[in-house]
Amino acid sequence: MKDKMDRISARLREKQIRIPVDLTVGVVFFLVAAAVLLLMPSQVAISERDVVNGRAFPTLLMWVMMICCALLVGKEIYKIIKKRPIAYKTINLLVEVKALIIMAILVITYLLARTTDLFVVGAVFCAVAFLLYFRCKKPLYYVITVGMAVGIWAVFRFLLNVHF
Amino acid sequence: MKKRRICLCLALILAFSLMTGTVGFAAGETWTVTCPWAPDGVASLVSQKVAALSSEYSDDITLVAFAQKGDAATVNTWVLDNEAGDTGLVFVGEGLLSITSIMDPAKMQFDYDNFEFVENLYSSVFVLSADAKLDIKNIEDLQAYVADADEITVATNGATGSEAFLAAALFGSMGAGDALKIVPYQSAAEAAQGVVRGETQFAVSHQSQIEESFKQGGVTVVCAFDEDAIENGPFAGVEGVGQYDYPYFRNRCFIMAPAGTDEEKVAELKALYDEILADEEVVEWLHETMLLEVDTMDEEAVLEHVDNVKNIVNEYIDIVQPAA
Amino acid sequence: MLQHIIPASGLLFTLQNILWINIGVFIGAVFAAIPGLTVILCVILFLPVTYSMSAIPGMMFLLGIYCAGGYGGSVSAILINTPGTPHAAATMLDGHPMSKQGRTKAALKIALYASTFGGIFSALALLFLGPQVAKLAAQLGTPEYFMVCLFGLTIIAGVSGKSMIRGIIAACLGLLISCIGSDPMTSYDRFTFGINRLYLGLDLAVCLIGLFALVEIVSRAEDQPQEMHMDTRKMKDDGTITKDEYKRMVRPALLGSLIGVMVGIIPGTGASEASWFSYSQAKNMSKHKEEFGNGSVEGIAAAESANNAVTGATLIPLLTLGIPGDGTVAIMLSALMINGLNPGLSLFTTQGDIMYAIMLGLILVNVFMFIQGKLLTPLFAKVVSIPQEILTPIIVIFCFAGAYSVNKNYFDVAVALVFCVLAWILRKLDMPPVPILLGLVLGRMTETNFRRALLISNGSPKIFVSSVYCWAFIALIVLAVGTIIRGKIHDRKAQEKEE
Repeated sequence: MKDKMDRISARLREKQIRIPVDLTVGVVFFLVAAAVLLLMPSQVAISERDVVNGRAFPTLLMWVMMICCALLVGKEIYKIIKKRPIAYKTINLLVEVKALIIMAILVITYLLARTTDLFVVGAVFCAVAFLLYFRCKKPLYYVITVGMAVGIWAVFRFLLNVHF
Repeated sequence: MKKRRICLCLALILAFSLMTGTVGFAAGETWTVTCPWAPDGVASLVSQKVAALSSEYSDDITLVAFAQKGDAATVNTWVLDNEAGDTGLVFVGEGLLSITSIMDPAKMQFDYDNFEFVENLYSSVFVLSADAKLDIKNIEDLQAYVADADEITVATNGATGSEAFLAAALFGSMGAGDALKIVPYQSAAEAAQGVVRGETQFAVSHQSQIEESFKQGGVTVVCAFDEDAIENGPFAGVEGVGQYDYPYFRNRCFIMAPAGTDEEKVAELKALYDEILADEEVVEWLHETMLLEVDTMDEEAVLEHVDNVKNIVNEYIDIVQPAA
Repeated sequence: MLQHIIPASGLLFTLQNILWINIGVFIGAVFAAIPGLTVILCVILFLPVTYSMSAIPGMMFLLGIYCAGGYGGSVSAILINTPGTPHAAATMLDGHPMSKQGRTKAALKIALYASTFGGIFSALALLFLGPQVAKLAAQLGTPEYFMVCLFGLTIIAGVSGKSMIRGIIAACLGLLISCIGSDPMTSYDRFTFGINRLYLGLDLAVCLIGLFALVEIVSRAEDQPQEMHMDTRKMKDDGTITKDEYKRMVRPALLGSLIGVMVGIIPGTGASEASWFSYSQAKNMSKHKEEFGNGSVEGIAAAESANNAVTGATLIPLLTLGIPGDGTVAIMLSALMINGLNPGLSLFTTQGDIMYAIMLGLILVNVFMFIQGKLLTPLFAKVVSIPQEILTPIIVIFCFAGAYSVNKNYFDVAVALVFCVLAWILRKLDMPPVPILLGLVLGRMTETNFRRALLISNGSPKIFVSSVYCWAFIALIVLAVGTIIRGKIHDRKAQEKEE
């Protein structure tokens, strides 16, 4: 099992994606700003009597964001035309897969705590899941971490009166 | 190193005993009283004071005050989390039952039927204060000022709260609804400062919130939103708008249990609150420090209050917030 | 004043008061060191303890929590790159890099010294200048508040990293997120998408957990196995601070304390704003700008002295005018009012001894915070030697418990998770997270004061130049922008030289 995982890790470590980071930021946030502007009428009610209504500030922000995005994209296009190197960011697939696993642990911890309405269940899962993620083989670490998870829950539940 | 460890152990033991002794465990049945407004607000303060005395008056019930700012959202959560048999109480006032229910019913996932009325915690008479430079000292001065004013600005806590409707009702019934501009602030204390700085001409607030500015001479207190003149405290003698037939309501804070709570339990809770609210120390504190009144009520009076405020809201809603 | 000092000292120096100060300091420091458990939450939880006390011990206990909370937030910021409280976020920028260099104890000590300096500075300001300064601060109105916010937004330039454009985009995102919830001026909902819990807006502490703490956990994915099992015991960390470092701390600590006091006396602003203002100004004025963000002594000193200097300053408007300077102090008001003390200048005449005992007590609180801090520093420093396998899940559990405790519901935990995902994506796009935090801190205040000012002036922008205070803030903004531009030109020239 360990060998198999190591092999997969080694394979993933070699896989990398390069993204033109400034271009991506410019395009993504331009679209975000445009979407917010489109959503504005349905999400922010205003009245005729408002001197400065509730849409003014977010609208101003989104225009500033769009201008900044346009500048960022413009700068990169200029570099491409002038055949200068543009900014790239390298993303390693292994890192992203590992990040996804950690996020999954976080989400499952949350779901377990929420559905059972017992925070300690999620806490114990979280402790064990992270030890497994780190491939920990020391039983003492498991005892300490699970003990701490229960302890933290008990302090919040019984001393601080946080009922979860 | 040894000394350090001893100090640390001592501190831990002290902190632990403090928490277990005061926060964690209480004798008898513990009722958590949720205040859906600011932890430093008037309702929360009174709730804390009353809760602190509960163990002196009852061996069976301990009240624990808890404040969670959030208004309708907090009460929505409370209604979802508490059902008959649970030991939770919550405050609701005319702001939720009479104002939000008309202005923004979608915000509320509850109505009066979700509760069993226990008691009214206090009554507060709001006052209208004016920038001292305007030299408006009573309702006659106010009427004269309003008659000539092109614009009337009033500082209130929030845009659509009780204070905003009291301002709308007073100036609206004086025929100056169109000239009225409500300037909302984030808190009552901030609103009171707004008028002191001259940002607005008037402010509506609890008496205690304007007391210091009044003592410093920054504002004059024009009138009280009540039937008659104020009898006690630093504002004794200030006229009530009711004397001139202008609409008004008092601010009240109803303590509610979950719908379906055992009648005997409700009666027991009401009796406990009544006893604490009759305590001389509490009465004096409410009068002298908080400038509030003890005003125990029955359910009929509560419904009457809710309807009265609803009528005022319906009449003056266009002044406070024109249709979106 | 002098006639009150001796009787006030008699009231203050009792065994009971000293005991309560120490309990408060200990609880405050530990609470604030845990991500998600904010000082305000701690004060709310322990307020009932003061019900049975008289005014002085009650206030001493709460002040102990408040002041130590100012320092405690820096502990986790330094140790685990996660600010325990929002106002320790600026400390994180240099505190954690210094800890990574194997100087954890030194970073903790610098934070403690700066915090104590800032705390005592503001306590003295409260004692000697309280009423006068409060009257001045009370004259700042809505347009001046907007100017303060605008000045605050200039900090974005200093925390944007390599690209100011990306910093501005991130700040816009933060400011937009601050718009979620009820419109402060009309009560209409904005960007709530029908979700009930969003009516209240998003809690800063919850966003902070996602943006900094949880994303730090996800970033463990970037660690190499050998980094994970790094034996920190082999690192030499004797906590030594050199003479030169002490010297370099003085100017930013003094500047931070001044900024902290100035920000603290303006009701509605708080320690977060103060620490960012101070950090940014210290960076602009420093001869070692390049060290900022890489473990600068000046950076830690500036941020920590400022957030603790706020503690005494927020009490100035509270005790003299009855206006609480920030949320935590507003709750402390309860401890006074429950004891029948309605704060205001008149109370200095009627209950002068009690008022001066409280003000003197603040100095004592800072002294005990220093003593406890010195005792606890070696213990705190040991956190970095806890194996990652154990530390990581414990941080997550504390974060989740902290997020839940803010409003006692799981919705906030979900919000923290969403912010974690957002922060991870932004990290991948090289977007700085600090401007988002700044946007969140300043957003509501900026918008509310901008709109209210225009409402008062019937839409005329002249209101923003209507007072001498406005002009003073405009001058400050011009100065800040000028310094930024000068710095950028200098950086570019240096870069060109290198090339």
